Amino acid sequence: MKGECYMRVGIVGTGTMGEVHAAAWRAIGAEVAGCFSSNPQQRKAFAKQHNTHSFSSYPELLNNADVVDICTPTATHKSLVLAAAQAGKHVICEKPIALTVEDAEAMIEACRGVRFFVGMVLRFFPQYRSAKQLVAGGRIGKPAVLRLKRVSYVPQNPDAWYFNEALSGGIVVDLMIHDFDYARWLAGDVERVYALKTLADTGSAQYVQTVLRLKSGAIALIEGGWAYPPGVFRTGLDLSGTDGLIEWSSDQPSPLITFFPPKVEETASVGLPTSGLADDPFAAELRHAYQCIQSGAPFEVTAEDALEALRISLAVRKSVATGKPVKLP
Amino acid sequence: MRIGILSIAHLHAAGYQANLKAIPGIELVGFSHENSAEGQAFNEEFGVPWFSSHQELLAQGLDGVVICSENARHRELVELGAQAGCQILCEKPIEITRADAEAMKNVCDKNGVRFMTAFPARFASSSRALRTMVQQGELGKVFGVNGINHSENPSGHRAWFANKQLAGGGAAMDHIVHLADFFRWCFSTEVIEVYAEIDNLIYPNELEVDTAGLLLITMSNGIQASIDCSWSRPTWYPRWGHLKIEVVGEKGAAVVDGFVQHLTVYAKSGARNPEWIGFGPDANQPMIQEFIDSIREQREPSVTWNDGYQALRVVLAAYESAQRKEPVKLEH
Repeated sequence: MKGECYMRVGIVGTGTMGEVHAAAWRAIGAEVAGCFSSNPQQRKAFAKQHNTHSFSSYPELLNNADVVDICTPTATHKSLVLAAAQAGKHVICEKPIALTVEDAEAMIEACRGVRFFVGMVLRFFPQYRSAKQLVAGGRIGKPAVLRLKRVSYVPQNPDAWYFNEALSGGIVVDLMIHDFDYARWLAGDVERVYALKTLADTGSAQYVQTVLRLKSGAIALIEGGWAYPPGVFRTGLDLSGTDGLIEWSSDQPSPLITFFPPKVEETASVGLPTSGLADDPFAAELRHAYQCIQSGAPFEVTAEDALEALRISLAVRKSVATGKPVKLP
Repeated sequence: MRIGILSIAHLHAAGYQANLKAIPGIELVGFSHENSAEGQAFNEEFGVPWFSSHQELLAQGLDGVVICSENARHRELVELGAQAGCQILCEKPIEITRADAEAMKNVCDKNGVRFMTAFPARFASSSRALRTMVQQGELGKVFGVNGINHSENPSGHRAWFANKQLAGGGAAMDHIVHLADFFRWCFSTEVIEVYAEIDNLIYPNELEVDTAGLLLITMSNGIQASIDCSWSRPTWYPRWGHLKIEVVGEKGAAVVDGFVQHLTVYAKSGARNPEWIGFGPDANQPMIQEFIDSIREQREPSVTWNDGYQALRVVLAAYESAQRKEPVKLEH
């Protein structure tokens, strides 16, 4: 990707998502100009591992980057995005965009003068993209009943920020937002939501089921959880319409099946879905963002889409809290 | 023991006649059905004697009857059967209103006959194993259940399934009861709250009844469950549909896929192509056996009128919720 318009990428946040993004940037041949994290130890190890520069402050990183890639806990997104926009830098930001609608709106407003991409990565998973294209092409007719599943295990690092709803928005905002966005991408805006959430008596396991009614009339059942035994992460889509049906489940075999004697495997601290041996969706997402920023082309998924997905997530959280259906504006 | 089938309007009659014949000591005296063409065809296909009037079949002297009529005619046939002193096995849903269902209970009590509701999901070996797992606490605290009973549009086979008067509704009336009953039984609990989105989304121009439905229910033990009752499998799907139950618990998760054991058949002449031809155990056989055993042993069957009634209440609450756009509570 080096060339006349080569852009320097700076990664902010060197935790799990920072690692995933660094690998994705490498996969698409982009060079990471440097990283910053408020954790100096983690930052230095990250810089060493990815052979990049470790900046000791965020302004210093901004001075040395054309695009910042924000991979920090959600609660910090707003101030980082605002500072980047102020410095005239393009922004790529992990999902969810923010924790409140007001913050998201302020971020979008602040980024009027720069490009602002929110990593709604599910839209870059090949099976989800392909299904979207089939639906958009009318292959199932008018969407009617959408079933989406995303159930993983409790993140294995006990002090992880995801557990803190004030930092992550909780499972509904952090995890289920993917499928809320996907349902909206397939069949349009949401009219109302209703949800039930169950918590473990001890520990952080939880399980949520949501029914959405879309303005188009379609209905959706969206299942999310940190509820399975460590290492188990199941996703799936089942999209029915007036003229057809599309099914996919992560239970399906991958293009490589291996048989080894059983061994004790270490479980990744956070479950991240993979697409088998196909292109890494994070690489596809970052390539798309990079190329659009470079060329000035519009993003396929906009910050406004990310805002709408947040709005649905917050409505779902409100339904959980009140036990009532919640209407969207 | 002498058994008859009252009406073959429901597709399950074909399976039940084979189930009955497979039990030693059972005499399948005949079936009654008013429509001559359908009656003759069934008689020719299965060799079961046909009676064009229900009274005529009941006059043969029967110990029990299996009622396979349209939903809204269950009451009429239960009354005839009970008055003839027959034990009753009634297809689901047991009726389409609470009043009709309650009248059926009264006529059975008055005539001293017992009433069993046909809920085969309780008799599948996979679902029985799941219940044992749940009840022995192997899954720990259960967080929730994801239930799927989506199918093709059955009115392609029998038109009455999409006739509001005869069926009482569409997909929701057709399918909710199976999983509602299964959850009540599996967790030894009652459904106390129902939220539902129900609409005719899949055949908006062809059918007059609801064809899509999603429910979120809360049970008295606090467990949440979803039910997908939609007619969302196309008619060109490899099979009629699915019964799947995923239970997510603190110590583990279990997935029942009741009809997963199948061959995939690509036949030039196939009605579906490809077609999934099942080879798993037939849950109807142990269900029919339980009906027969309850008659032989002169005891309540393991699935009662109340089970059918409580499941019907969930359906009616779902329709009410969909109409009011809010959760509906059920008193117990």
